Amino acid sequence: MNAAWIARNVRRQVSAHPRMVAATGAAFCFLALVAGGARLGTRAVERWGAFAGQNIHVIVYLAEDVDAQGALGLRDILRRSPAVARVALVEPAQALARLRASAQGFSSDGNALDGLEPAYFPRSLEVSLAPAADLTSRARELATRLREVPGVAEVDAMTSGLARLAVWVRLGRTVGLAILIALGFVALLALVAVFLRGHDAMARRAAVLDQLGETPAVIRLPAGLWSATAALVGGGLGALILASAWRPLLDRLEQSLGIASTLPLAPLAPAEIAAGLAIIALAGLAMGYFATPLPRAADHA
Amino acid sequence: MLWLEGIGCRRHGVTVLDGVTLGVGSGEIVVIEGSPASGKSTLLEVAATARVPERGAVWFAGRNTASLQRASLPFVRRNIGYYTAEALLIDDDSALANVMAALAVRGESLQAAESGALDALALVRAQELASRQVASLSSGQKRLVALARALAGPPPLVVADEPAAFVDDEARAVVVSALARVRDLGAAVLAATADTALADVLVAAGGRRIHLEQGRVAGAPAVELVPALHPPQDERETGPSRLLAGERDDGDRSVPAPAAKGPR
Repeated sequence: MNAAWIARNVRRQVSAHPRMVAATGAAFCFLALVAGGARLGTRAVERWGAFAGQNIHVIVYLAEDVDAQGALGLRDILRRSPAVARVALVEPAQALARLRASAQGFSSDGNALDGLEPAYFPRSLEVSLAPAADLTSRARELATRLREVPGVAEVDAMTSGLARLAVWVRLGRTVGLAILIALGFVALLALVAVFLRGHDAMARRAAVLDQLGETPAVIRLPAGLWSATAALVGGGLGALILASAWRPLLDRLEQSLGIASTLPLAPLAPAEIAAGLAIIALAGLAMGYFATPLPRAADHA
Repeated sequence: MLWLEGIGCRRHGVTVLDGVTLGVGSGEIVVIEGSPASGKSTLLEVAATARVPERGAVWFAGRNTASLQRASLPFVRRNIGYYTAEALLIDDDSALANVMAALAVRGESLQAAESGALDALALVRAQELASRQVASLSSGQKRLVALARALAGPPPLVVADEPAAFVDDEARAVVVSALARVRDLGAAVLAATADTALADVLVAAGGRRIHLEQGRVAGAPAVELVPALHPPQDERETGPSRLLAGERDDGDRSVPAPAAKGPR
């Protein structure tokens, strides 16, 4: 059988089973969306982690006898620490203003905090640590050291909040991974169902060609070729959907969650897309090739 | 062209063939006649290399197929036009594409395959079915298409199991005439039937009759039935093809493929 005949067979199989080909393409499109979504999702989690890293991890409340000059001096010392990303001095008036602003969100009684004066609030330093995996322990360690610094009245390491965040991130990752595995399994089941549906027709074609003296490799090749093509088209469509829809979707999600990370979100690189499509095409080729049932040789008994 | 020697086969523990020996030369029709379950279909499966016998040897064009690796069998099979009453066809292809497949497998170009397939369909007077989808054909029409596919080329050997089963008298005459035609073109034809009338017609057309009973050749031993085809002991290493009428004795012991391009 020559190349022209194989190409003709591919066309005939595609025109004879358009739904099977379309379903194969759709299943691989879904797989591409799942795999690409997982890749981009991992990057989004990193980005959100960086956002968490931008937040305040330690609040240092200064003693009443520390004046503005002393507070600025302490701020400068803290800034020199390599583990610290940012330090902001919060004056008492500023702290009161923040309290009033946040209280408005929870209470309809706007006069509830009228009796408070700035003098009730100590000066404080808000410390943000440099992004790291062990933020909780680093915050705790810094807080312990700061408690021994003269002029420091109290230190809140906010470790409970960080620990909760870490738990949520881990849980989110586990749930996300489980969902991805489930979706991948669904896509694989869909593919198996597609090929089971066409099994009889493929088996009959294979039996005919086997009887005519075709070699197993050439019997299987046309199904492998159309399956690879369908997978490539489906995978390409999935990549296109991800390229066009992922960013707006993530922006909307971050906006609704109030996440404003300064870390740029890298899209899928052309090399990544090419590698993904190559893997998908190979998987499609293997799927169609090995799904073609070869007739069993007549037994001797 | 074909020499079956001492073929023995069992199916589900029952002996179906027991030491069958026979030969078919190029340009010859051999009719295996026998009652149902006499082992005809199994013998034809063995002849078409669709079944490996438990005992005995199948010599095709001077080569013992038992000595070939399993992967090489397709290259033998493509030189055999095998027809069964089951008429195994690709339902979602046209009749023409089904017949073309036999020629394409032998390495013919698309144009040559199409031309050869149309000739084969014309041979069984089924040319009007060429563009029809196989799924839309009646069972009788499917059998004609399957027969056309077996005769396309023609191949060096045609193996036909009940070639005229379930067809009317007119179609039967067409089948006989088609088998005689490919025989005249040099093909070896091995046909099996339980229909004595058909066997008579084929014998009248120049065929040789062999009666099969309970897996054995009835009457005289096979050696005596076809003495001219039986290879002497010292010839068996090179096979019987040298003794067959119409075979050239040029020392080439590879599978000849007059209608095929051979293994690629």
